[in-house]
Amino acid sequence: MSKEESLQVTKRATRSSTSTPVKTASRTQKTIKPHASLLRNDLVFEGEPLSLDALISNFHGRRLQILKLLNFIGPLNTSMLPLFLYGGPAAGKTSVLLQSFRHLQRPFVYASCRTCYNPKILFESVLNQLSSHRQQASNGYSCAKKCDKPSDFVHLLQEAFKEVINTLKGNSKEKKGSKESEGKDCGSMVYLIFDNLELVRDWEKESVIIPMLFKLYDILKLPEVGLIFISNASPDTYYSNTGSLEPLPIYFPDYTEDELYQIFSRNQRNPKFYSSFLDITLKPFCRITRRVDELSIALQSLFQKCCEPLSDSGIPSPGDMKTTLYNRLKLHLAPSLNETFSIPAHLSSEDEAKKDKVRRKANMKNLGHGEALDDIDFHMSVSTKYLLISAFLASRNRATLDAALFDSTGGGDNRKRKRKISEASKEQKETAEEELRMKGPGTFPLERLLAIFQCITSVMEDSLDEGVQESNSDSGAEGGNTQLMSDVLLQLSTLCNANLISKGGTCPLEASTRYRSTVSEELAMKVARSVKFHLKQYLYQK
Amino acid sequence: MAPSKTPDSPPPSSSTDDSENSLQPFFVLHKALPQKGGGRVNRSGKSKRKINLSASPESAFKSGGGEQFEEDADYHFEQLRIEAFDVVWPKIETTIKEVLRNINGSVFNKIHDWICDSFHAIRSARKPSVWQISCPYPLATDISSRQIHTGLVFTKNVEFVDDLVTFKDLSMHLRSKGCHVVSLSSLDFSGKHGLGGCLRSLLRQLLLVSPDSADVSILASWYREPENCDSPLVMIIDEMERCGGLILSDFILMLSEWVVKLPVILILGIATTDDSLRNVLQLNVLQHLRPCTFSLGSPAGKLDAIIEAVFLKNWSGFYIGHEVVAFFRNYFSMQDGTVTSFIRALKIACTKHFLMEPLSFLCEGFVHEDFQGFWTEKCSSLRKPILKYASDLPSCETRHKSSGVTCESLAFGLSEMKKQHKDWVSVLLCLYEVAKLTKVPLLGIFCEALDPKLYNLRASPNYFAEKIRNLEASAVKKSEIVQLVRRVRNSAGAPLRQLLLAWGKHTEDIAEIHVKLKELENILEDEENTVSQECDEATFKRLKSRSHLNARRVNDKAAELMECMIKNYLRPMECTPLHEIVCFKQVKMLKLALIGDPRRTIQIDLLKSHNYLHYNCGPEGGNAPLRSMHDTAILYTLAQEHGDLINLHDWFQSFKSIILVPSPSKKRKSGHRTPDHRATQDAKQETTSAVRYCRAKNEYNICRLILTPYKRGGRCRSRKAKQP
Repeated sequence: MSKEESLQVTKRATRSSTSTPVKTASRTQKTIKPHASLLRNDLVFEGEPLSLDALISNFHGRRLQILKLLNFIGPLNTSMLPLFLYGGPAAGKTSVLLQSFRHLQRPFVYASCRTCYNPKILFESVLNQLSSHRQQASNGYSCAKKCDKPSDFVHLLQEAFKEVINTLKGNSKEKKGSKESEGKDCGSMVYLIFDNLELVRDWEKESVIIPMLFKLYDILKLPEVGLIFISNASPDTYYSNTGSLEPLPIYFPDYTEDELYQIFSRNQRNPKFYSSFLDITLKPFCRITRRVDELSIALQSLFQKCCEPLSDSGIPSPGDMKTTLYNRLKLHLAPSLNETFSIPAHLSSEDEAKKDKVRRKANMKNLGHGEALDDIDFHMSVSTKYLLISAFLASRNRATLDAALFDSTGGGDNRKRKRKISEASKEQKETAEEELRMKGPGTFPLERLLAIFQCITSVMEDSLDEGVQESNSDSGAEGGNTQLMSDVLLQLSTLCNANLISKGGTCPLEASTRYRSTVSEELAMKVARSVKFHLKQYLYQK
Repeated sequence: MAPSKTPDSPPPSSSTDDSENSLQPFFVLHKALPQKGGGRVNRSGKSKRKINLSASPESAFKSGGGEQFEEDADYHFEQLRIEAFDVVWPKIETTIKEVLRNINGSVFNKIHDWICDSFHAIRSARKPSVWQISCPYPLATDISSRQIHTGLVFTKNVEFVDDLVTFKDLSMHLRSKGCHVVSLSSLDFSGKHGLGGCLRSLLRQLLLVSPDSADVSILASWYREPENCDSPLVMIIDEMERCGGLILSDFILMLSEWVVKLPVILILGIATTDDSLRNVLQLNVLQHLRPCTFSLGSPAGKLDAIIEAVFLKNWSGFYIGHEVVAFFRNYFSMQDGTVTSFIRALKIACTKHFLMEPLSFLCEGFVHEDFQGFWTEKCSSLRKPILKYASDLPSCETRHKSSGVTCESLAFGLSEMKKQHKDWVSVLLCLYEVAKLTKVPLLGIFCEALDPKLYNLRASPNYFAEKIRNLEASAVKKSEIVQLVRRVRNSAGAPLRQLLLAWGKHTEDIAEIHVKLKELENILEDEENTVSQECDEATFKRLKSRSHLNARRVNDKAAELMECMIKNYLRPMECTPLHEIVCFKQVKMLKLALIGDPRRTIQIDLLKSHNYLHYNCGPEGGNAPLRSMHDTAILYTLAQEHGDLINLHDWFQSFKSIILVPSPSKKRKSGHRTPDHRATQDAKQETTSAVRYCRAKNEYNICRLILTPYKRGGRCRSRKAKQP
């Protein structure tokens, strides 16, 4: 999860690619007959070993944690207590641990609770790795041992570990004897790593599995097994009552601003230019997030933006670089701080998208003036649009206001009377409104939606009928209007499918399902404009 | 039920009752609108709807006023019609398919190119060794190399029906280019099966086995096989909006752990806007996507292309009348904006036409190369009664009043029709060229060009001048064709030149127009030459103003030519004699077939159950429930008397009183029996009526014609029909 490593990727890739051809050949041969050395290779980190200095310099700001970790793991063939690595996301826990094992060159078993999304798969994945079993077409993609229950798992794990440890011991003896070993001795310890442990808490049987995992050290009673847990959540959230041996915690704190600066300014093509870029951008971004992954995405897109004009004119002299950069970034900085996710268009459709954006911006400005600009990006039939508007109204307005808003006869009178009352209890009402806004869109039953829909469409049909009479050329139009209502339920399901209306799940026979409109006001306004419906008239505002 | 909710049946439940039940204000906002024409049509047409497909030809014959044919001949012609249908409809269908394929083709290629680029980018960053592909720990943990390349395909339609096929085609296309393709539907991401469901379906499609535990590592070990590891893994999720957000998020996060090892490329189909992606997925998941957008053709564009291909360019002998086109247009914009429903409607129209129109087998001739020969052969085999039928067709009545239609005149008329249609198409295509400049959809112009009323109006000499003047003035619904003519008048320079060139292509077969076009082109060319040759400063201004005048003249001439083309050649199908043979005009029938109105139909049927049961002593005029009626019908009639709300107990009591009306003689008889016996019989009757009542009520519950509010208990609300 650490960003520093991104910079390392290319380096390591080249190294491993040089070594791959030999290894693949040897591996394919080896898979035929399991052998002690194969076992070692399967469990040890793939790639060139890493020196301690390289390891520490790779992970800026993690020196303390690495030393602590290596200290806890201890020298070759010494048993260790369970470890618990924790800290926020993207703090470098997994990367540090994996790279440490690359440095140590010792066998380990890794299971991420994200990939292994239920106990069965977690157990089987660990057992598969221990027995060097590969699920492939020849064995029907079956696993080494079927294992569903925690008790079975403990049992099978014990067996598998014993076997592995025996082979490892024999292996190291052999090596000691021969002495001209081709590689470093990896000792007889095997480490078991559980990553993303916090996810286990969402599993169905978490109350059994979490205590079991923490107790593994006591249950297995194998000093040759080292247990390491990695989690986003602090240890307090797990083993309060398990009564097991508490693992030794290693905390990975969030990076400081200086550390982030160091991390990002490494391995840049133009360090000077990039550092002045960081001077401007890092501070405001750090106020929002200190996660390396979020920052790197945000900074990358921003950096590309400020590089665009530079690519033509070349890089300015260092003296005025900062000011020019600042001027250039001024425009982009504020919007990109708020942007959570940007979607670039495909190259060929880029121009179109740009135009679209410009149009959308112009439209935003016009919102207040209610200019008729139909720019919904997707097709909706008129009746669906009306249904969407009615759902929006039903969600925004209170049910008690419907009569006042839609009743064509008594609307005016009612409103006046209400206004007088509201003046008396103005404050109370304001707080109620505030509350309503905080709650977000309200839910409504189907009946209310249909009643509003009918009101709206009847108004619309009247106006359309007039138009038809005037032009008296389009004989088919009349037929179209009377049909508006016919497929409402079908269209409702369409809208639900498109996630524009959300539906509470209940028994269909009871008909007590409640709906909620999830449309943004902007989109609702656009839709209303496209059918020339004055949405604002019907929206109740304090 | 709305149709029955008339002022003369006020709800008998007292007002206190209503307030007690706290009828929410929204429920009685608006009285249903009085029944409009459309509703009546539906009611009267209800019997028509039952038309048995095989039974219709005879009835059509009868309605045509012809005599009965001998059965053999009848059978013979029916066979011919079916054969003709088998020729014509497949031709239309293949044309449509081809059109849709062409529209999607370019997008598909774009997507494939992007997939290749993404695959290359993934692989050039780092190529894992064979062993690394299936190693359990993540190879890279930095965010930029853990992002998944994601193609967002905007379908531009809320309805997803059309695009199910599109995405199927896309997966075929990509598979043919050598990618590993998995199509996951939103059902795979529903909460029921969780993450295991979609992984299982994924493995099933790629590995062709379903392993007992669905694990990504199995996929990895499959992918590391030498025959698999050189192509990208494309996962297509067609309806992103319908997927369960949590499961999709988990899926993406899980894939992101494997992304260096497995070159996964996601394709998400999005119906609405990119906001929906933000709504469905969590922020930390969005970070793992590296998005790229594509858009499919808009449904209106697809429809235009289909119309152009089916009715203009590759006409296959079947046509639809103006009213039908208008209905299609309205149905498309108002109700169901999908190409699928349009094709379905077209098929219904085509089937109905070939079943109902006795002479429709002659349509096949339009597809034949030797159409003259085909028609002479077919027409000569026609007998008198059918010729009589032809001469009775409304479009022939005036022309062949004295002589009647003969075999020769029939064949000649059809060839004339073919010729005329060709001219009509040429002019319409010219209009469409203009429309393309202003992005006006073809459907509107097509509809207007088919209108016989407008054709007659256009015959007046000052029609266009007047209309164009009116265009600025009023807010009346504008005629598309008039607007297009105005557009020609206002265009100049390069666009006009291109327009003339395009017209030249379309009007090659109309000699008169073609000559005029050539003249116009020459004038335009001359002007341009003079302007380019004499470009010295002094004369330039003068020339410019002159050329401006000239251009004005050319525009006017072009517009005049357009008007002349429209007046002389844009003769709608419905103005030609014998058009009934090729042209389907029964809008009502189509309406009934397309707009189901199931709830109202059930309600009407319940009220008129005696009609269906051929029950003669049923209620005369009124709707008074009778014992002999069906239980469900009785309950419904009673519910009507009560209005919106019915007390379950009252309802049951009145139901019981109807089905248990004891005859006086029975009463006397039972009087002789012992009270014990009577009591048991009464109890029995009570239970039977309760059972019958419950069964009938459950039927309503299942149809959702009635709601039972559980909290308040004891009261039912009969549900209103949703249709006006």
